[in-house]
Amino acid sequence: MYEERITSIIEDPAQEFDIVVRITREEDIAVARQMAKQLAQEIGFSLADVTRIATAVSELARNIYRYARQGRIMIRKRLEDRDSPGIEVIAADRGPGIPDIELVLTRGYTTWERSLGIGLSGVKRLMDSFAIHSEVGKGTVVITGKRRRTF
Amino acid sequence: MPIMRVGGYLLVPIQIDLDDRTVGRLQQQLLKEIERTRARAVILDVRMVEVIDSYISYTLSETAVMARLMGCRTVLCGIQPPVALTLAQMGVTLQEVAVARNLEHALVLAGSFQERDKGV
Repeated sequence: MYEERITSIIEDPAQEFDIVVRITREEDIAVARQMAKQLAQEIGFSLADVTRIATAVSELARNIYRYARQGRIMIRKRLEDRDSPGIEVIAADRGPGIPDIELVLTRGYTTWERSLGIGLSGVKRLMDSFAIHSEVGKGTVVITGKRRRTF
Repeated sequence: MPIMRVGGYLLVPIQIDLDDRTVGRLQQQLLKEIERTRARAVILDVRMVEVIDSYISYTLSETAVMARLMGCRTVLCGIQPPVALTLAQMGVTLQEVAVARNLEHALVLAGSFQERDKGV
């Protein structure tokens, strides 16, 4: 079922999402981040969480632009649980893929010259859920989500 | 990006969303201004900046390292609480950047560098 979902995301990226941003230019990183921020605000996330989500989206979009040249950021509201709505962010590309996922999740590891190497591990820390599926030569899908805290 | 001269310092009030190109251009512009004005310190006011991600952090820190090599200190001020929270959670540390609470504190810090550098 998980595999099916991954395949359908790669095949038909526009399904069921509130926001789909194609990442093809550097400016699209800021666009994706801005739109994520707006949707997170709409869902009622705290300012701290809105900032976390926008930052996570920024990291994911930049990875697409850097390593795959193009791909998509897809975001949707998750309202099934009325007491604690949430947001789901998916980053998908048909880029080179990641040979060693564990390695890229290591803080400080990067193949990019001008980078802190904390992008993906940062996303994992900022969000509540984080899953990554990648195949060398095929592409990468990162699925991540966050729930709104109720006080 | 507007860069103002205040005493021997350069003050940069960053009031727009920092995309990758903007932050890259700011770096170039700042280094040129440091060379031209022989400024002793650069103060970056990020009070209006809502998102600072790992690349922006990297570039700001890289700029500070470059500025330091040119004899100029860098002070960052006005980091918003949610931004501080996010940076801390991601584990970002900024090299060669002094951090001030606000603009007033930044000016005091910049001044203290000046005193210290005189003694060398």
